[in-house]
Amino acid sequence: MDIQALMLLTAEAKDTQELVTLVPWTFIIQIINLFIQVFLIKKFLFKPINEILEKRSKLADKTIREAREAQNEADSLKEQYESSLTNAHAEAAQIVSDAQKAAQVKADTLVREAQEEAAGIKARAAADIEQEKKKAVNEAKDEIGSLAMDIAGKVVEKEINEADHKKLIDDFISKVGA
Amino acid sequence: MNSSFEVDYAQIYTTIHTGIPILGDFKLTETLIVSWIVMAIITGLCIFLTRDLKIENISKRQAFAEMLVETGNNFVRNNTGGNKFDKLIPFVSALFATSVVSNLISLIGLRSPTADLSTEAAWAVVVFIMITATKIKTNGFGGYLKGFTTPIAVMTPFNILSELATPVSMACRHFGNILSGVVIDGLIYWALGLASAAIFGLIPGAVGNFLSNIPILGIGIPAVTGVYFDWFSGCMQAFIFCMLTVMYIANAAEE
Repeated sequence: MDIQALMLLTAEAKDTQELVTLVPWTFIIQIINLFIQVFLIKKFLFKPINEILEKRSKLADKTIREAREAQNEADSLKEQYESSLTNAHAEAAQIVSDAQKAAQVKADTLVREAQEEAAGIKARAAADIEQEKKKAVNEAKDEIGSLAMDIAGKVVEKEINEADHKKLIDDFISKVGA
Repeated sequence: MNSSFEVDYAQIYTTIHTGIPILGDFKLTETLIVSWIVMAIITGLCIFLTRDLKIENISKRQAFAEMLVETGNNFVRNNTGGNKFDKLIPFVSALFATSVVSNLISLIGLRSPTADLSTEAAWAVVVFIMITATKIKTNGFGGYLKGFTTPIAVMTPFNILSELATPVSMACRHFGNILSGVVIDGLIYWALGLASAAIFGLIPGAVGNFLSNIPILGIGIPAVTGVYFDWFSGCMQAFIFCMLTVMYIANAAEE
């Protein structure tokens, strides 16, 4: 390779840089470029995405919290329902037993009243019978009296004052009956 | 058909003469232009992914964006063991995204900004400053300096060397892998071009002349080799760089 060709080559190579070289300006500008890139990537990628991620995690937290609250509420409601259900059961049992008691009392009362009534009827009947008996006895007495008078009249053939004799006979009968 | 092989050098579009010593002239290189394209792509993607965000019933796009963020969070949190370095997440994510997109942008024919040592050096220096800052924050400045004399004072030069080796190795590892990918891709295209020229040159007449000028073998085959040299190595290096960043900073925070 002669001198001329070498010079031609260097002239051609003037608008390219060496393969392995450190160019101060390029070096400085690349440092600045790197920091600009950091700023840009931070502003346009990390900031919005991190904001969204944070928002989402907040939302998730909120949802979980709300779900937990709702569950607590449901649990307390359930407890409340269960207790009120128990109360209702007790109340129902109370009502039933009350009703049973009342019915028993009423039935007892009815039976007692019926018994009393029956006893009353029986007593009245007995009294009636007694009265009838007395009446019958009295009638029999009267009959016997008049019969006796008739017989006595026929026997003595003499009309006696009925009233005087009746008294006489009554005395007699009462002495006899007693 | 060019029969000599040339590596894909970074173009310099314009040179602005600044006259500042050390820094020299400002050169608007392909590296910078493609870096800005990469940044635009990443930012555009971020804006696209985070459009119309919802809390419930999310779109696939949002799910993907959330997955990316969660992956970044988990990556940093798992490797540092806690939420102590959450401020680092956007930095590591930006580093990873820039690295991956820069590495893979060569697939659409642009020159990777990561095939320029200046880029990786810039990143590695930033990481190195972060590591050092974390060390000083953890142990105090005295403790930091004292750390160089462990286990014995004689080791100090080696400790300083190993400290400086961290950014150098990080930068050079990443750069070397990507550059080798660029070189190998260039070689493969060049070799396949030559091969197809040789094969189709066997066809006699005008048809052979015409076909031998088209690198027909260059269709398809580079896609297969590119799976390793571009895809795998590109993603792997980005991952390694970020992993090392996180690990070094997490280690620096330990007493």
